[in-house]
Amino acid sequence: MQDLIEILISATAGGCIYALLALAYLVVLRPTGVINFAVGDWGTVAAFGGFLALSEAALPWPVGMAVVVIAAAGLGWLTERIAVRPLVERGAPVLAPILALLGMLVIFREAVSLGFGPDPRPIPQPFGYGRIEWGLLAASYQSVFIIAVTSAVFVGAWYFFERTLAGRSFEAVALDRRAAALMGINLARVTSCAFAAGSALAALAALLLVPNTSAHYLMGIPLAIQGFTALVIGGVGRTEGALVGGLILALVEQLTMRYVPIAPGLVQGVPLLLLIVFLLVRPTGLLAARGGSA
Amino acid sequence: MLEVRAIHGGYGRADILHDISIDIAAGETLALLGPNGAGKSTLMAALTGTLTRRSGSIRLDREDITHLPSHDIVARGLALVPEGRHMFAPFTVADNLRLGAIRLREPTRARLAERHAFVFDLFPRLAERRSQLAGTLSGGEQQMVAIARALMSSPRMLLLDEPFLGLAPRVVEEIHQALDVLRVSGLTLLLVEQKLDIALSFASRACVMVKGRIALEASSAELASRSDLGDLYFTLARDQTLDAP
Repeated sequence: MQDLIEILISATAGGCIYALLALAYLVVLRPTGVINFAVGDWGTVAAFGGFLALSEAALPWPVGMAVVVIAAAGLGWLTERIAVRPLVERGAPVLAPILALLGMLVIFREAVSLGFGPDPRPIPQPFGYGRIEWGLLAASYQSVFIIAVTSAVFVGAWYFFERTLAGRSFEAVALDRRAAALMGINLARVTSCAFAAGSALAALAALLLVPNTSAHYLMGIPLAIQGFTALVIGGVGRTEGALVGGLILALVEQLTMRYVPIAPGLVQGVPLLLLIVFLLVRPTGLLAARGGSA
Repeated sequence: MLEVRAIHGGYGRADILHDISIDIAAGETLALLGPNGAGKSTLMAALTGTLTRRSGSIRLDREDITHLPSHDIVARGLALVPEGRHMFAPFTVADNLRLGAIRLREPTRARLAERHAFVFDLFPRLAERRSQLAGTLSGGEQQMVAIARALMSSPRMLLLDEPFLGLAPRVVEEIHQALDVLRVSGLTLLLVEQKLDIALSFASRACVMVKGRIALEASSAELASRSDLGDLYFTLARDQTLDAP
């Protein structure tokens, strides 16, 4: 029982990271229709930003985290201006910005590799290595921190999309770009904000992850795959889908690691296997969009 | 109020609009007639900035809006009720209306309340349905939301692209009455319509579009008095169909 509870808590914390990455995909995909695989490498850049802010400059965690997330939002905004907007303004098909963003992914990765080299860089734990124990429940401070931050982000995202005019504008653009433009919604601004928010979310996910794993220039690839798989599992129609998808993916990974006798390296194939299964069996994901729209 | 000069434009490489020029005075109601594929909806897209590839000039109250994006055109007082309604189906009627007011000048609580009161007075049924999801409304009610949503921005000029299309006669009558109220109030209207009887009974002047050009322009009274009107309209429509690739 204790074993299962520990797996559940570990899976919840890991699932929260995947959920944030899935949300980073979602906030860009919904209003623009663009699948942005550079999400993982936004995370890589932010992880090394975290190394500079938290390890090198030794800023307090809240300050360092805020600085990196705000800088990441700026990087997302810049990515849109450089790689997406010029193509959209020329009426390029939706595949063009997706390919341009793949190009940006390589640029980000190689820039990090040139700047920091191939060795992993450690990031300090925000609350040390202690554990909270409460009866059968036991979790590291970091796991509790990850779950708390992710919960706050998803509550905030739900409130933004459901209860604010700006959030409704985002959703309106996702539902019908032309009608949204005819209402007076500034499509260019919504797109810029979506990229900034996506990058900030990817940065947050990376910053929560790296105290346990260290920052490495190749960390973006698994982040991109895990986030995308979580998105496909949960579905793109609803914000909660990202959370559900992330938690399910992490739980399957953890249960596979614990109970299936396969080599540890093969566990990395679990997201890809789930991705294939969901794309074949339920490509719309588990949660349908409200009102029947996707 | 609206001066359109030598507009050319289209989607992709094909030009659909050819040298379109129209003038609409403040408070006037103009009907834009024409068969399917004549370019009426494309012209609406050009006027509201959703058709980006175009040349010529468009002025609203002498201000050049030719190259403005849609949101800036709405902010300057030109609103479109698009063909097909384009509801935000998963949103409530209230949310649809609130989004319509996103470019309302001075969007204070009192001003929003005034706009809500105005549209609910025009379409009382929407007040009862304000918490209902727009996608669950009947076609006629959705058309009312589409018109009300465009009116929430307090436009100086309203473009209506086939607002009666696919509606039951009773609903057509209801919407016709609401548009009459707007016309009498002095709002400048441009109505795109295929049916001659509806258009000529509503507008003071009409333009007939064929193959992306203005083929005929006259007062509604003048057009209505032509005994060959039905034949003329049919001939223009047939010529377009025969010329189509």
